[in-house]
Amino acid sequence: MSHLPPVRTQLEYPYTRTTGPIVGAFLTALRDGKLLGIRCGSRVLCPPLEYDPESGETLAPDFVEVGPGGTIQSWTWIAEPSRKHPFAEPFAFALIRPDGSDTQLCHAVKATGPAALRTGGRVRTQYRAERRGAITDLYFAPEDEAESQYIPPAKGAVEMTEHLISLEFTEPLSPHRERYARALLDGRFIGQRSPASGKVYLPSKGYDPIERVRMTERDDVGVADTGTVVAYTVITPVQYYGQKETEPYIRASILLDGADQPLGQQDIRTIPLAEFRSGLRLQAIWKTKAERSVVDVDNRWGGTGTVIERWEPTGEPDVPFEKLAEHNW
Amino acid sequence: MLMDLTNQLLAETGLPRSAVDFTIAGSCDYLSGLPFAFVMNVDGFGAWPPVYESHLEMDGAWALFEAWIRLQMGDIDIALVAGSGRSSPGIPREIFPLQTDPYVSAPLGLDPVSVAGLQARALLDAGLATERDFAEVVSRSRRSGLANPNAQVKKDVAVDALLKEPYYASPLRKHDLPPISDGAAAVLIARGKRARELTKQPVWIRGIDHRIDSHHLGLRDLTDSPSSRLAAKGVALHAGPIDVAELCVRYSPEEIVLRRALELPAGTTINPSGGPLCGHPVMATGLVRVIEVAQRIRDGSARRGVAHAASGPALQQNLLCVLEA
Repeated sequence: MSHLPPVRTQLEYPYTRTTGPIVGAFLTALRDGKLLGIRCGSRVLCPPLEYDPESGETLAPDFVEVGPGGTIQSWTWIAEPSRKHPFAEPFAFALIRPDGSDTQLCHAVKATGPAALRTGGRVRTQYRAERRGAITDLYFAPEDEAESQYIPPAKGAVEMTEHLISLEFTEPLSPHRERYARALLDGRFIGQRSPASGKVYLPSKGYDPIERVRMTERDDVGVADTGTVVAYTVITPVQYYGQKETEPYIRASILLDGADQPLGQQDIRTIPLAEFRSGLRLQAIWKTKAERSVVDVDNRWGGTGTVIERWEPTGEPDVPFEKLAEHNW
Repeated sequence: MLMDLTNQLLAETGLPRSAVDFTIAGSCDYLSGLPFAFVMNVDGFGAWPPVYESHLEMDGAWALFEAWIRLQMGDIDIALVAGSGRSSPGIPREIFPLQTDPYVSAPLGLDPVSVAGLQARALLDAGLATERDFAEVVSRSRRSGLANPNAQVKKDVAVDALLKEPYYASPLRKHDLPPISDGAAAVLIARGKRARELTKQPVWIRGIDHRIDSHHLGLRDLTDSPSSRLAAKGVALHAGPIDVAELCVRYSPEEIVLRRALELPAGTTINPSGGPLCGHPVMATGLVRVIEVAQRIRDGSARRGVAHAASGPALQQNLLCVLEA
């Protein structure tokens, strides 16, 4: 049997940071085509720090323009750049001491090849056509490969930076999760019965986290698609980065008949809040086979993909709280 | 991974899980790609009875440091320490720049491999190493790995063959880098009296010290490791013989830097396990060094040794742990 596609996750955090008086001045100058250092006693530090690295004393905003020339102190030629590097083609990272600075700045050097670089070699600042007050506005080039540039200053100070962290993860589904996902596509739930305690976990992690025993395919058991609400909450969407919801909705934990662990994070969109309660009996209404997908079933929390159209009340009497106490929190 | 290790430790010591007073784990949510991934460490320890636990977003060696200090408070006797990480689902070269300064380094994607390249070049320029020296570290480490059942990469490769490989982050070649690994490590530590009850051959932690260099690369001399020197003083490294040293050499030039900074005597066996160049389960790599030293003391091949753990680019953070029979 061919395997289900691997789980792909994209993790994104859009960071917005205030720059403060020192980094802010440095980034504002970069946007305007200048490289700044800061005086620290008899030394000049570039990039400027808010404090004396030896004593920790706060430094006054006493800036000095450094560069545009500089000297390579160390370098490495990056044969295969990562997607996060400033250049898609091979380039160098280098520790560069800008003229007038006593410390090094670590930055990228765009050059025709590694032969253009040597320790002690001269480089010069180069600025991107589009600048937004970030360290990436700048790069360096060997002096004889550098272009002369005119950088018109822009208005206002750089007080914020934006940095979108975006990472990708890919891993195959664990065997127990693959069986769980295939059952979902078939319109069935399968859990795993702990050989140690007899409790049925769903979706199973492949082990019993209480008795600390692994479970195998032999421990797989079918679980009904009817169950009881054991807990729920109403989510009022906040419009953060990536939010797709606009209206409040219910998220419920449903203890399926035959399971000892509630199925969490179930969307409830069709039952009015006034009628929703713990103890309510529900039945899963499955999507048609063609509509079912398990792309968001993962190895961690599980999920139920998009296989369930909605949960519908069965009309049975509620289950009294006492019988659910272990799961009701 | 953690669950199997926990079960193995409990089986070896005959302890019930309830006898563990404190559990602590080191792991990294960015590596797992899941917020609150660390919560699942508790599953590995066993979720019931409830654990008294702590977590660090650091290598398990730092978890050991915290547990060791916690035991010295005297009210509890036994701690279970773990470190775990899976680097294979993500792209480590894209994740680790996030450890660096968010204004001037992280947006450049400045990754540990590139910084190791800068460190390597600094060593060459200063006349402290040659490319052959880097290759010798790799050749020796991967040959040592042949005797290590946990080694992921192990082979007998001649230095000359290594030097013919193309550059990756010059002057480093791909073999100067650690493999991408998934793994976990766990260790049980106990206060003196309990330790003697649990085993006939206790291994004693004599000291742990952790020091940090600047997070601005441009302020550092990459050919040296002042924080390692300080940590060595802190643990009185040279107060006795050093039979074995397990160093967190993730990139071959780091061994040259550490040998000098720690002033290791000629007779010290370095990385008999092969070290991180044979397997680098991030967040467990440092704790593995401690375990490798402890095992050699337990099997009698060493009396006193030092384990080293590192974090951050170019050995920014260094932790030393001295172990004795």
